[in-house]
Amino acid sequence: MTLNENEITLTINGESMRAWAPSRMHAADFLRQRLGYTGTHVGCEQGVCGMCTVMVDGQAVKSCLMLAAQLDGAEVRTVESLAEGENLSALQQSFKRHHGLQCGFCTPGFLMLASSLAARGETMSREQIRDEISGVLCRCTGYEGIVRAVEEYLQLQQPKGSHPQQAEEASR
Amino acid sequence: MNELMEAPTVPQEETRQEEGLKHRLIGTSVPRTEDERLLRGDGRFTDDVQFAHQLEMAVGRCPFPHARILSIDVSRALELEGVKHILTGEQVREQSEPLSVLRPVPGAPQLPYYALAQEKATYEGQPVVSVVATSRALAEDAIELIEIEYEPLPHVSDAIEALKKDAPILHPQSLESNLLASNSDRAGEPEAQIEEAPVVLRGQMRIGRVTPLPMEPRGVVAVWRPGARELSVYSSTQVPHLVRKQLAEALRIGEECIRVSASDVGGGFGQKLGIYPEDVLASLHATALRRPVKWIEDRMEHFRAATHGRESIHDYCLAADAEGRFLAMTNTYTTDIGGWNSSFGSSQLSSVVFTGPYRVADAAVERRVAMTNKTPVGAYRGYGQPEVNFALEVLVDRLARQLDKDPLELREMNMLRPEDLPWTVPSGAVYDSGDYIKTLHMAAESVDYAAHRAKHREPRADGRIVGIGLASFVERTGYASARFLAKRGSKFGAHESLTLRANRSGGIDLYTGVSSIGQSSETAFAQICAEVLGVDFDMVRVHTGDTASSPLNTGSFASRTLIAAAGALREAALAFRDKTLRIGAWALGIAPEEALIEGREVRHRDDAGKRVPLSDVFSRAIIGQGIPHDETPGLETTAHFEPPSAAFSFGTAAAVVAVDPETGEFEVERFVMVHDCGVVVNPMIVEGQVRGALVQGLGAALGEELRYDAVTGQLLSGSMLDYAVPRAADVPPIELLHTEVPSPVTTFGVRGVGEVGTIPPGAAIANALCDALSDYGVEFSALPITPESVWRALNAAKKGEVA
Repeated sequence: MTLNENEITLTINGESMRAWAPSRMHAADFLRQRLGYTGTHVGCEQGVCGMCTVMVDGQAVKSCLMLAAQLDGAEVRTVESLAEGENLSALQQSFKRHHGLQCGFCTPGFLMLASSLAARGETMSREQIRDEISGVLCRCTGYEGIVRAVEEYLQLQQPKGSHPQQAEEASR
Repeated sequence: MNELMEAPTVPQEETRQEEGLKHRLIGTSVPRTEDERLLRGDGRFTDDVQFAHQLEMAVGRCPFPHARILSIDVSRALELEGVKHILTGEQVREQSEPLSVLRPVPGAPQLPYYALAQEKATYEGQPVVSVVATSRALAEDAIELIEIEYEPLPHVSDAIEALKKDAPILHPQSLESNLLASNSDRAGEPEAQIEEAPVVLRGQMRIGRVTPLPMEPRGVVAVWRPGARELSVYSSTQVPHLVRKQLAEALRIGEECIRVSASDVGGGFGQKLGIYPEDVLASLHATALRRPVKWIEDRMEHFRAATHGRESIHDYCLAADAEGRFLAMTNTYTTDIGGWNSSFGSSQLSSVVFTGPYRVADAAVERRVAMTNKTPVGAYRGYGQPEVNFALEVLVDRLARQLDKDPLELREMNMLRPEDLPWTVPSGAVYDSGDYIKTLHMAAESVDYAAHRAKHREPRADGRIVGIGLASFVERTGYASARFLAKRGSKFGAHESLTLRANRSGGIDLYTGVSSIGQSSETAFAQICAEVLGVDFDMVRVHTGDTASSPLNTGSFASRTLIAAAGALREAALAFRDKTLRIGAWALGIAPEEALIEGREVRHRDDAGKRVPLSDVFSRAIIGQGIPHDETPGLETTAHFEPPSAAFSFGTAAAVVAVDPETGEFEVERFVMVHDCGVVVNPMIVEGQVRGALVQGLGAALGEELRYDAVTGQLLSGSMLDYAVPRAADVPPIELLHTEVPSPVTTFGVRGVGEVGTIPPGAAIANALCDALSDYGVEFSALPITPESVWRALNAAKKGEVA
């Protein structure tokens, strides 16, 4: 059915790619089915659950609400980009340390959302983190481990001494 | 003990290598082995399974709650390019059997629930036609082209209405009314006690219909190799071996022709217990087409076609003396099972724990299962226990108010003491052991209950009034026994089975039919296995959820996995250890009693210089060279273990709630959970299980509800946008405390922990609201409780009514 297919050129996890997708295919299905990035999950196709969250041009987006064609020319990052070879990234390690995942289905969504939060270069209170991550749902953990993991990761991203707590400790 | 009986126990010793040694791994927060792949997006969920030449299925569903199917015309759909195969009810009846039930309602007839509706559909969302095409989108296009003529029939959505004489009967060929079955349990003479009791309190309590809502919807991929007569089924299920059995029955083929593989599973919570129509349909299409067929449920389908949970109405009667001592208790309750009998039916455990943690000798319970024109109800985390806890614990507080007693003191007065246990409840179940009152006191202390009770309920500066509510519970975890299940007609056992197999790299492969659903069994099983063997944790690799490699087990539900698996792990590991020691000792030229497994080697107990790597010992065993002459080659052990009884977890929750008496707006400011799950294998995992279940319980208490329109019978909250599942920002501060009373009926003294958090939130919050609003005389009799329902209750109270 190439009749209604569009050619899409994009950068995904640093790699340039060209692929075809039907006009009506959403971006999450495109990433999964056409490009094989199955770490991005699909949970509601309504933009509510956040399982399909990826980074497009540095922003966290719900890829079920985008058409594949809208990825033309975009730079996309998925969960597959996070680990550094054999090693989990600092963010992934935080999730593991704080038991921020159980069944793991929502995890890629939270990881990509947290990556975009980190890009803002701010630390956040747990309250703020809870608000910021409310666009991705988790039915297993009750969120506590996720909040702790994101908090720790955001702190790690700060230059040494700039976090209020660290600054306080340093001044003692 | 309420009767002369000996509590069944299991051996607790020999689990450590040397007596006096502390557990090395059991009780420690070992990081999870599941995490590595899941964090990389490298889990293998059902939709991640891809085959060349794979086709996709979509299902056309009945849009009415109750309708006769007059005609189906698929001709236009078949003309669409890319459409490969279409099934209707008639073909399904020719090619398959109705779906079997795993846990029937005792006394219920088998209903002819075919994978596609026959003459009638009895719920909105029931599959009517299925289409396979080259893509899901095309299959859905084809469904749009299928012309189905329906005759809508009178429907009934409410369980109480459904049992009335004039209600439309859903299954007149099998049943004379919409009562699927009823069962009762009793002890003593509750009616006589109630007749004479100084205080009798009655109340009708409603628990709303909710959905388990795992983040991964259901899904199945079926691959048929006709020459091999092999159907490979990749399924998002909690019970691969039970799916295999049910599919074999439905498809009229032998189990040997079916392999079911499940892992990873993106959450189950009871919803993924056994087969659904779509599993049969994908298999029929795959068999007919000889090509792989995939079906992944979309979320709109999920809300209508995956089983719901909880909905029930409890009519309680609580009789007490003037002091508040419970004399008798009865509960007649109706559960709404929906339009068909699902694999696990509607919840059955309300009848087991309806007397709660209290000493009541005269008690009776009757369960009535009503059919309505709604999605079938199945198991959901807690399986009747959250429902009955809400009903009972709200009434306990109501009684306290009536008698002008402190709710804590009333509970204290009536609670079973450690010395009362084991205690047999009317259903015949036995509470094994525990210190229930201790959890009550711990919960009360943690929220400064005594100081709060002493104060009048004055509004704070922000206009809100603070209340504290308690809810205590006893929870059945695991199953009593296969004999117990047999009496109820259940088609599964109470055991777990697993295999340990040495490999030549020196590692141990552990095969289990339990699938990974987020419960962390991979980690916990490896912990116990490594503990008993004495090997390093990372030497054990757990392979989950494949019927081709694992011994026939039961599955992951009912907080039962570890309860049964711990025993199987211990037995298999002890046999494995002994043979390893015999061969290792032979290699070292020492006696087996002198040998010890440590880390990655077998060594002499007292002479560390004498050592041999496990890879060497295992290789000897596997190839049969360099082993004692009387030893058989191979190193593989399988154990099957059934615990002698169910273990009962217990605890108390305390909720601190601030409520605005003008608007009904309220906030749970603190939620404390004190619980006991016996000996803890991995504290981190236990915390995660309790927290996760608590948030599901809070969701069901505070907003989640599947509402049906009273007139049209249509589901009103059937999408993620309409169904209020808790987000991170919605979760109140939760504090966990625990006690650790080992259970005498399980290996290592474990109790189940997967479901407990769902139980007390509803009652604790309702009781806190009543406490805060005690000057207004507000009562709650239904879940969920929303600001609107608080406002309505306040208005009702002002008019002197009970909401």
